[in-house]
Amino acid sequence: MDSAVKYFENIWIEPPMDRILYRLGYKKTKTKLEKDQKEQIEELIWEGVSHCHPKGAFLILPITERTCHSITIGRHLVKSKSLAELLKNSETAALMASTIGDEMIHAIEDEIKKENSVKAVIFDSTASQMADKTVAWVMDFINKTLQKEGKALTSMRYSPGYGDLDLRYQKIFFEELKLEKLGISLTKSYMMTPEKSVTAICGVENRIRREERNE
Amino acid sequence: MNKTTFYELLRERILILDGATGTQLQKKGMPQGVCPEKWILENPHAILEIQGSYKEAGSDIVYAPTFGANRWKLKTFGLEDQVREINMSLVQLSREAVGRDILVAGDLSPTGEFIKPFGERAFEEAVEVYKEQVEALVEGGVDLFVIETMIDIQEARAALLAVKETTDLPVMVSLTFGEDEKTLTGTDPITAAITLQSLGADVIGCNCSTGPKDMIHILKEMKGVATVPILVKPNAGLPVVKDGELFYDLGPEEFASFIDEFTNIGVNLIGGCCGTTPEYIRLIKERTESAVPKMWLKSKISALTSARKTVFMGENMPLVIVGERINPTGKKKLQQELLDGKLSEVRRLALEQQQKGASILDVNVGMPGIDEKKVMVNVVENLSTLSELPLCIDSSSPEVIEAALRIYPGRALLNSISGEEKKLEKLLPIAAKYGAMFIALPLDDQEIPATAEGRIKVLDRILEEAKKIGYGPQDMVVDGLVMTVSADQKASLTTLGVIEYATKHLKTSSIIGLSNISFGLPERKWLNSAFLMMAMAKGLNMAIANPSSENLMELKMAGDVLIGRDENSKNYIAYFGQSKTISKSIDEKPKEENTRTKIYEAVLKGEKEAIEGYIKKALDEGMKPFDIVDELLIPAINKVGELYDQKEYFLPQLILSAEAMKTGFNYLEPLLLKEDNARKKTKVIIATVKGDIHDIGKNIVGLMLKNYGFEVIDLGKDVPKEEIIKQVKEHNAPIVGLSALMTTTMGEMGVVIDAAKKEGLDTKFMVGGAVVTQAFAEEIGADGYAGDAIEAVRLAQALEK
Repeated sequence: MDSAVKYFENIWIEPPMDRILYRLGYKKTKTKLEKDQKEQIEELIWEGVSHCHPKGAFLILPITERTCHSITIGRHLVKSKSLAELLKNSETAALMASTIGDEMIHAIEDEIKKENSVKAVIFDSTASQMADKTVAWVMDFINKTLQKEGKALTSMRYSPGYGDLDLRYQKIFFEELKLEKLGISLTKSYMMTPEKSVTAICGVENRIRREERNE
Repeated sequence: MNKTTFYELLRERILILDGATGTQLQKKGMPQGVCPEKWILENPHAILEIQGSYKEAGSDIVYAPTFGANRWKLKTFGLEDQVREINMSLVQLSREAVGRDILVAGDLSPTGEFIKPFGERAFEEAVEVYKEQVEALVEGGVDLFVIETMIDIQEARAALLAVKETTDLPVMVSLTFGEDEKTLTGTDPITAAITLQSLGADVIGCNCSTGPKDMIHILKEMKGVATVPILVKPNAGLPVVKDGELFYDLGPEEFASFIDEFTNIGVNLIGGCCGTTPEYIRLIKERTESAVPKMWLKSKISALTSARKTVFMGENMPLVIVGERINPTGKKKLQQELLDGKLSEVRRLALEQQQKGASILDVNVGMPGIDEKKVMVNVVENLSTLSELPLCIDSSSPEVIEAALRIYPGRALLNSISGEEKKLEKLLPIAAKYGAMFIALPLDDQEIPATAEGRIKVLDRILEEAKKIGYGPQDMVVDGLVMTVSADQKASLTTLGVIEYATKHLKTSSIIGLSNISFGLPERKWLNSAFLMMAMAKGLNMAIANPSSENLMELKMAGDVLIGRDENSKNYIAYFGQSKTISKSIDEKPKEENTRTKIYEAVLKGEKEAIEGYIKKALDEGMKPFDIVDELLIPAINKVGELYDQKEYFLPQLILSAEAMKTGFNYLEPLLLKEDNARKKTKVIIATVKGDIHDIGKNIVGLMLKNYGFEVIDLGKDVPKEEIIKQVKEHNAPIVGLSALMTTTMGEMGVVIDAAKKEGLDTKFMVGGAVVTQAFAEEIGADGYAGDAIEAVRLAQALEK
């Protein structure tokens, strides 16, 4: 696979209605919802979706060195036992990032200011699920491209700030993926804005090895 | 090779393509990571042997090894200035390998860059990159073109336009579909086939990615709508890496066992992709020797596409609603946004119409003060990825129309082409070039004919002109040109006459702008409804209308059933089935509809707007404010809490109820305060701790607390501990809610709690945030943890006691 950063300016994400409703506590067999209310809620979800601008980027980098508690990806030494474990069968790793943009975040903030709680929570749930689906879309895209080479991404992904992967490694994603191109910026305390932006790393493995392991 | 000769060949027999080039080159020693095109030129014997053996095995066409010889790909190897030389030399090598007996196809493939609207590269840039390669390949002497292994319909369109705008040689377009039968950017086989053949592909098909088995269904789908021959070039099964080497799991015999199925489906060109060898091709040749090629559809397809969806029109198809709302006329908000270069309202209207049942979106951005072309292109790019519905490009400017059709990644509908001389002359060729369907408007330079006969004459002429440049009746949609009956009582009959003529004689689809019929009259919906039914009975199959009108959508559903356009009433049942499944009333017991019940129900059902009126009435009837709170509002919200716990309610319902409760409580508050035993609201301070800037979750908690009667003092985000302590003292707040999103900032919550303890404050702390847990809350000495906004309310209620 090409070693340049790939950017997706407009990703089409089908709104995961079931997951958005589920996140709001909807249980198919139990929750009783009148038709008008259901329509009203669905309309708000669609309105939320209209504020989302899913974008993504990824880059495949070689893993140049490894120990059991650190790993060097490209020119970046990362001290993390769990990441080293995740990438133990990989010769390359995929750095990924995705965002739904800041329009949705402003829309949620506006609704909160107007004390419109229903709209705010529905937008919030929609935003979270659209963000999750966007990063999943980027992973799926990479996987489909890797399939041609007999390879696949590790099914698990890691993000800075989780487990022993320090948040300061966000910097690697910003350096390598030039995330300002997606409208994402990093604060001094390594937090991403807009909220609901995601960075993640996966290993690239030979498919047969992964399948054998899964067996 | 001209197109006629190429098609003659395809009518005679199934043509055999070549097998893999890349994997064969690797076998001949091409190392990983080199520029294949350069390596071939440095090691010409390899390609001479490979293509010579494909010719020997029976290939009718070999692909010149120019797969990656475009400027963007070659740039990776610093060879971007040698596009012409490399392409020409590679074609010459192929010619040397196979001579003049078989055909050499110039091979175009993905550039490795992503094109707008999906990617960041401009569509026109991609067209130019391909054009440069196409010109070199023509100069090198290729017989035809193949655009192959495409993963994005828009990039395939760019390559196809590049070929069409450079040469008349035949061009085949082949896409790669995944196991989900979609391209990487989400296009299904039917949509791809219709889009590409409309744009001028002479052959369509699929290659690479999966083995022959997975391609069978894809090919069936394509063949069902293909008005051109179809090709297949599967991999030798799925690729896997073992011991560092890539291999494919399907041998030649197993691969060849699918050939009969391919020929039965009607595939017209067969070859192999990655992992296949001359042996595979020899077997394909053997198995197709006696097969009779199946022809492609003679008549055109009446269908529009987006990048991800096809909408069919015509006889027996349901009435298609074209959503009319993306049009600034009379919409101040939309006008202002377009002037400001914003698209929020356009996006909202698009999704709203999609949700309400529109099948196509009409896009009109014509208004004074804007650059219509620029705005139209921006809107079309935006909607192409936001909505899956095909677009109807609605403009009177040929320049705007061409710009939109050029970048639209599907087959659009052009609204519209009239019989006016200049319009016909300018717009028909533009529509034809991009393969768009078009709406024919029955008016000419002289007039809008008042009679059906007059309009029919204009329509006959438009169709006649359209046929001259390759259109068929299936590509045209007749506009019934609806005029209001308030001005001319016979206007409806004229339109109905035109619709009938379109259906019975022209065999085209027809469309009306429904609401015009009733302009200037009262109770318009009755006229609109009656007219829609009459028009449907005459064969109308499209209507430009507002899908938010329930009346319209319900009539459409009923009309489709009655005219036999809704098989087994499936759509009707699905549409109206929803309303039948309205859940039973939450409180099963029938209630006496007195004011008390109404207040209780208003909270239960979240009727924020109605509750004030009910309370006012209850007060007029002599009920005491405290009794309303204690006997109605609180029991109702407790019932809501119960229903939420039982999962019969979910969060939005709970909030709607809480908002109704708050509205009622706010109305009563001044009266309650007058009474001696007035209750005070409990103060809760909320803050996102220092270092953390994410506060959506915290703000939602704040809103919910307010709904439940707490007084919330929100300190915002990134708040230092000193400020929190200061505010606690100042407000004497009994409860503080702290929030942190990240593992790196959650520790700060403990710092705040410690500081409060040191100061001797007896404030209760509750904490929450994405990574916060109950165990963490206990560890830092918090008084409670809340996983979401509702838990936070309950926790605060418990802590205030």
